Amino acid sequence: MIRTLRVVLNYLLAMAVVVLLWAGVSWLLEVSRGREILPTPWVTFAAAMDNIGTLASAFGTSALRFLIALAVAFLLGLPLGLAVGFESKLDRYLSPLIYLLYPMPPVALLLFLYLAFGLGEVVRLVVVVMALFFQVVVAAQGAAKYIVPSHVTAVRSAGATRWQIYRHVVLPATLPSVLTAARVSVGLGITMLYIAETKLGVLLGPGAGLGRFIEYYTFRGDISLAGVVGLALLGLLFYVVLELGERVLCRWKFVGARGGT
Amino acid sequence: MIEAEGLTLIYGRGGAAVPAVAGLSLAVDSYELVSVVGPSGCGKTTLLFALDGLLHPTAGRIRIHGEEVRGVRRDVALILQDAGLLPWKTVRANAELALRIQGRKESAGRVLAELGLAGFERRFPSELSEGMKRRVGIARALALQPRVMLMDEPTANLDSLTREHIQNLILGLWWEMGFTGVLVTHDMEEAVFLGKRILVLSPRPARVVEVIENPGMGEPGYRGTPEFTAQVAHLRQALLGSNGS
Repeated sequence: MIRTLRVVLNYLLAMAVVVLLWAGVSWLLEVSRGREILPTPWVTFAAAMDNIGTLASAFGTSALRFLIALAVAFLLGLPLGLAVGFESKLDRYLSPLIYLLYPMPPVALLLFLYLAFGLGEVVRLVVVVMALFFQVVVAAQGAAKYIVPSHVTAVRSAGATRWQIYRHVVLPATLPSVLTAARVSVGLGITMLYIAETKLGVLLGPGAGLGRFIEYYTFRGDISLAGVVGLALLGLLFYVVLELGERVLCRWKFVGARGGT
Repeated sequence: MIEAEGLTLIYGRGGAAVPAVAGLSLAVDSYELVSVVGPSGCGKTTLLFALDGLLHPTAGRIRIHGEEVRGVRRDVALILQDAGLLPWKTVRANAELALRIQGRKESAGRVLAELGLAGFERRFPSELSEGMKRRVGIARALALQPRVMLMDEPTANLDSLTREHIQNLILGLWWEMGFTGVLVTHDMEEAVFLGKRILVLSPRPARVVEVIENPGMGEPGYRGTPEFTAQVAHLRQALLGSNGS
């Protein structure tokens, strides 16, 4: 409980520091350039409050979009990554293919994705899924390659089926690495979400996602910046959710050695 | 009863083939506890894994209670060198792992209590001492109530007091439960303390080069007797001979 309180306090402190830095940069730019360049935190906050309905709708839409993309990336990427990492035959044949596709930015394929999936919701999801999918695949594959052999022997000697080996050993052994990779990928995922919402949503209103909100209010710096803050908070939200997920699902990682007799 | 006839195990194929066991034969009577010793890397663990059905012989055959071993058997339990505990499972879940894999509903609570692990059921392996981890590994095997127990260096890398404690525990369990056991070890005193017979293996590829009868095994206070010391010395000579040095 005290630990949770300390974490929350640390986050609040970090936010205060960011707001102070932001205010400082805003003031410096205004002084040096003689006009407002970067709206101050309080002006932005006031703009956010004035447009809270639209902003909340944009935040909710983006959050749901990101959640679905993350879930799909996990559902597709985790089994593939684990199988490729754990089964040496699959590793031999599929790894080169993964490494070839992995560095390819989905944004570079926007035109083809648009032609393939149209300009609807699906294409926006596909862009984010593609970015997160390879992160999950590569992390799962890497972790599954280095599973301690005695852990597999322990379940095999009990007569485990292939499925039981995955369930009792491969999945739990790799989950911490996969969740860490997913947390690291939140930043990339949010960037892709922003691109998908701006480039593939030009006809939509400002409530159709934070990317669209920022784009829609391009000429209202204070409102637009409120959208950027929304994106940062969205990233933070998923970062925290994934960290909490790791603490719950990988509880064993967070217990210390106590010894005994 | 465990029988192996002309057992050969070869890793890899073609030019990269490494024979680990070559034409090995052995017989372990029912309710007998036998130690297997040999030079480092001679194929002791490979032999044990073959007896467990984890490795398929390249040639020869293994029979347990008259039935040919073609895979893992439910009446055979294996204790791994480092206990092979899964760090993400609690002590209880680790002890019940083999039971659950076999679809059995029994609890390992009683076995854990007998091994002095009551109260630690909800702990994770990282919270235990090395000796406790080994006991959980033993509990996992015992929970299956096996007729055959295969042990791969169950006391390796333990301090001497904990090692003696685990050795006494294994001996006590053997008396109490009457399983047929094969213990692979590189510790000569352990081999003499726990083996009614001691099989000495050759350097790789392994085959049995000597069988030492050890009638005093299991006698109270055996560890402190001159017979014990003499048997350890005898075994040391046999091992040096098998190693060709």
